[in-house]
Amino acid sequence: MAVRTKIDPFAAEIIRESLVAVAEEMFVSLQRTSQSTIIYEVLDFACGITDEKAQLIAQTNGVTAFAGILTFTVQSVLDKFGLESIREGDIFCTNDPYTGGGTHLSDVAMVMPLFFEGKLLGFAANKAHWTEVGGKDAGSWTTDATEIFQEGLQFPCVRLYIDNQPLPSLVDMIRANVRTPEMSLGDMYAQAAGLRMAARRFGEMCSKHGAEQVKAGIDYLLEQGERQVRLDMQKLPKGTFHAEDFIDDDGLSEEPIPIKVKVTITDKEFIADFTGSGPQARGPINCTRTGLMGGMRTIFKAITNPDTPVNEGGFRPLTVICPEGNVFSAVRPAPVSTYWETLLNSVDLVWKALAPHMPERMTAGHFLSVCGLILAGPHSDTGELAILVEPQAGGWGAGVDKDGESGLVCIGDGETYIIPAEVCEQKYGIAVDQYALNPQDAGAGKFRGGLGLVRDYRILGDEGMFLTATFGRFKYPPWGVAGGESGSPNYVEVIRADGSPPQRFGKGARVHLLKGDIARLITGTGGGWGEPRQRSREKVLADLKEGYISERAAAETYGQRP
Amino acid sequence: MRIRMATDIGGTFTDLVALEEESRQITLAKSPSTPPEFHRGLADTIRKSGLDPRSVTFFAHGTTVVINALTERKGAPTALVTTRGFRDVLEITRANRPDMYNLRFEKQAPFVPRHLRFEVDERVGYKGDVMTPLDEGSVREAAERIRAAGVSAVAVCFLHSYANPAHEARCAEMLEELLPGVLVTPSYAITQEWREYERMSSAVLNSYVRPAASGYLDSLFKDLRTLEIPGSLNVMKSNGGMASFAFAKEQPIHMIESGPVGGVVGSLAIGLEIGERNLITLDIGGTTAKTSLIEGAEVKVTTEYRIEQDGRHAGYPVKIPVVDIVEIGAGGGSVAWLDPIGTLRVGPRSAGAVPGPASYSQGGTEPTVTDANLLLGRINPAYFLGGEMPLSVERARAAADPLARSLGMTVDEVARGIVRLANASMVNAIKLVSVRKGHDPREYALVAFGGGGPMHATALARELHIGKVVIPPAPGNFSAWGMLTTDYKQDFTRTSVVRAGEESMELIYGRYGELERESLEFFAREGFNAGQVVTVRAADMRYAGQEHTVRVPVPTGQPSLADVAARFHERHESAFMFRLEGPVEFVNLHLTGLVRVPNPDLSAFAPPSGSGAAGKGRRKVDFDEDGIHQAALYERERLGLEDEVVGPAVIEEAASTTVVYPGQRVSVDRIGNLVIATGGSVANGRPERRLKGGTPPHTGV
Repeated sequence: MAVRTKIDPFAAEIIRESLVAVAEEMFVSLQRTSQSTIIYEVLDFACGITDEKAQLIAQTNGVTAFAGILTFTVQSVLDKFGLESIREGDIFCTNDPYTGGGTHLSDVAMVMPLFFEGKLLGFAANKAHWTEVGGKDAGSWTTDATEIFQEGLQFPCVRLYIDNQPLPSLVDMIRANVRTPEMSLGDMYAQAAGLRMAARRFGEMCSKHGAEQVKAGIDYLLEQGERQVRLDMQKLPKGTFHAEDFIDDDGLSEEPIPIKVKVTITDKEFIADFTGSGPQARGPINCTRTGLMGGMRTIFKAITNPDTPVNEGGFRPLTVICPEGNVFSAVRPAPVSTYWETLLNSVDLVWKALAPHMPERMTAGHFLSVCGLILAGPHSDTGELAILVEPQAGGWGAGVDKDGESGLVCIGDGETYIIPAEVCEQKYGIAVDQYALNPQDAGAGKFRGGLGLVRDYRILGDEGMFLTATFGRFKYPPWGVAGGESGSPNYVEVIRADGSPPQRFGKGARVHLLKGDIARLITGTGGGWGEPRQRSREKVLADLKEGYISERAAAETYGQRP
Repeated sequence: MRIRMATDIGGTFTDLVALEEESRQITLAKSPSTPPEFHRGLADTIRKSGLDPRSVTFFAHGTTVVINALTERKGAPTALVTTRGFRDVLEITRANRPDMYNLRFEKQAPFVPRHLRFEVDERVGYKGDVMTPLDEGSVREAAERIRAAGVSAVAVCFLHSYANPAHEARCAEMLEELLPGVLVTPSYAITQEWREYERMSSAVLNSYVRPAASGYLDSLFKDLRTLEIPGSLNVMKSNGGMASFAFAKEQPIHMIESGPVGGVVGSLAIGLEIGERNLITLDIGGTTAKTSLIEGAEVKVTTEYRIEQDGRHAGYPVKIPVVDIVEIGAGGGSVAWLDPIGTLRVGPRSAGAVPGPASYSQGGTEPTVTDANLLLGRINPAYFLGGEMPLSVERARAAADPLARSLGMTVDEVARGIVRLANASMVNAIKLVSVRKGHDPREYALVAFGGGGPMHATALARELHIGKVVIPPAPGNFSAWGMLTTDYKQDFTRTSVVRAGEESMELIYGRYGELERESLEFFAREGFNAGQVVTVRAADMRYAGQEHTVRVPVPTGQPSLADVAARFHERHESAFMFRLEGPVEFVNLHLTGLVRVPNPDLSAFAPPSGSGAAGKGRRKVDFDEDGIHQAALYERERLGLEDEVVGPAVIEEAASTTVVYPGQRVSVDRIGNLVIATGGSVANGRPERRLKGGTPPHTGV
């Protein structure tokens, strides 16, 4: 190995703090200037800094499942363009799901090289979910696409900016291919501004500490990340662990899709093997290799060390095995626009395999699905096109010594905020009739699962609105541990004003809602932990007092009468 | 005799600063706080000061009673009444998981349990239109159940009450009638901004602390009147303004940051006096460091305040204006430790007052920042707290020794490392209020106070290229002092989402007119006439389609759309590096009402004239990268107007120590401030400083 500049741990620490600060500053800037609810409210985006070899040094993300995913984005730029052709002032753009670039077309990644005194030292990258990238349906993702071409405009890793200026022809292409050009381009400008801010801060940092010191600091940090994770690996249970489950269906047929994982943990390695899971599907539930890597990095981080900042060194023991063409590793031109549900299934499988063996880190199964929906149509007051895109919160699983949490966003989301009813009504011209805990007698256990929620949207406009939704775990509810019961399913219920029978579904595309119709969004209770009969009388009575369980459940499931 | 008196009650000590207006005599006093009956300790302190309470014309008070009631969960059992279908919003919160990778994340419990949350039939739309009239029968039903539950406080929060508060007001009125003795807080009284969870939480927290705060202020009122204090009685609010006891009893939540804000306001007063309108304040105590930024003589105020929010917890929102203070767990008592992979870390855990740093010889065995400063010779062990508490260098050394062994370093190297890390986190805190918000620290002066501020300020200033550091007189009592300079201030906000166009300006002018009237009514209740009230306007604005806003100052009167829009474009570009062509929206309209108090005459702290009387020998002091020097020592009290101290030097006073690096120059100004030219500003042509690699061995690399 080449001779290295020496760096003391204090200086390295200060450089790390500064790099994290750069990523965070980019994050805040993008959040505050974006025009997409899904970015500024749901925080479906990530910002990071890598070295010149695409190794992640610092990353800030709003959604958990983007853990360490920018590595692959930057790598795809390097693969395509090569170091020598990358120039100062370039910004690259990709949303290609099948190479390292993407997850689904809605997630648009932008990458800018970081130069100091003419030398390329690293990359700033961000990736954000644009509300609209075109495709067959408003909001771009849908539950019944059959090929990628229906899912929006593709950026196959292109140079979007030269000399800090966007290429006018490309901007025109975007403008012509999306339904809300101002919003989508607004997000593009916000992402570019975030990258430029990062480049400026990085430059300031280099002139303060010197490029050599920054470089040495980065190397030190990567090794420190690896040292940390090696230490964490020692605490993990060793051996081979299995889990199996089903994905409800692919959105087009009723067929469940079997999925399975084999996790092998040794002192040095953590191998997740998805061989044997079902083949890529006809509908858009497919996940690609990049998405799967995001999922595996997420759960690996949660298992090994949830506390420290993300860096490439911390992922070195992780190996993911998955044959091409499997539902977790789909190939072109498979539709992928609701990939995140399947990504979450991959996370959940590893979680399920390890939960009984790692009670200090893990809980029983949670409602799992993002429960994402699009509600689109004319605003009832202004007549302008309103597109509501949002996730729901639901019930989390119980732990070995705690009840599950009620009304939290799923593992795929993180610092994600649900949209206030007051904002919903003003922005989208609908009525929110209730937002409440949804006690179901499910998820019982010595410690019980947390409660899901119920949220009602009533349509006010004469022209109605279209609803597209994907609520996973409609057919296979969250799992319990050690005798704890399963939770309850997620679903959408459409209640018609004309009195016709309600429809209940997990996935639906462009369901036409008329004035007065109600879309009732229901999320599940988490799984329980331990035998319900072992639950203490005090806890059962307290639950009754707060209305978290019914008297019937208290008596029949828990064996306690008030 | 006319005395203006400020008192600041902290967890450990009650501070008093008083200014006798004619003689300009300043009196400082300190005595132990007496929890839970804090008002007794206050009376003790006033007696100890030896001042005649009957001469007090103005009494200002800062207290931690509200924040303590919240963090210790010692408020009153509280009920909530809300719109049908929404009682669980308080428990659902915004459903975010800040500790993203923690699968065992625990949500913070609501302040009102589910069985005390009641729903009534009513509904107002976002434009303020009544969709379902308030069903008074359902209010009576809720009242019955609340009575049965025996709570002493109720919050009322209905959807869209910011757009039309009539239902909330009527419901609150009914509950007050139906439930005598129960204190009712409608949410619109606390904030008129949208977002139901945030507004609900604000009303609930106000309700929760109201019985305790009312009781506290009543007892205090009795004590002060028993002492025959005749003057006006005021409390320090979190927005950096004063308010009457009467207001504080209704809306005690405004006292949530009552204590720390005094120092920020005091810094502004000092800044105006010495012609510095851009200031960064730094208050370092035993447990934390707090920093805030003042731009163009304007204290930064935020309405995105949350209690108990950190990287792991979402916290509880309080939508009131709070001076934007960043607080980090790095103070004199912060403990240095090794993490599992052998990296040195400092804080956030503090050794607190007991056992305190190892050198206090009170049983502490872990090295703290104070111990490190002592080991480096920066603190005089014989002169700590004016010599009341001699410090033990041996104990500090013994505490640092295990770290030195593990790291393979000398104790001195570890001490330098501890101070460097503490400084690095303080630098990052200052960056949060400056660089991260688009302010260049080089354009600011640093005002440092609290026991530890003067010790670290000069190093931080150099790191951040801040050219000037100001150490005010009596830095240990500075927060109380700041209250003497505080104006009466109340903020009025209305959410009003309107596309900015020529046709909408009339509506905007009208809304500001309403806010103006509201502010005059408010101050009339506080005992001021319209002529005394000054108002300042601002608007939160954004590009159509954005969610987040930029705060834009709006001139009084009827400014043109073009004028307001231009101000917005400018602010957006300066904050985010771009501007757009698209339409612009108003979101929230703000109006701040102010009644000025007479500025205290700062000449009370005037230094002696002349020079040369302050020197008191030399001591070996370690200035880290600037080397080890025989530093000149000075007694602050004796520094005269004509003295100039050149570093390496240490300036000592009873409650604090100012460290002056080699080459830095210190003078004393006419109001007693130490003014330090750090040579740190790039503007002064000082070369860029680089971190030196040093030679400490370490694991791995």
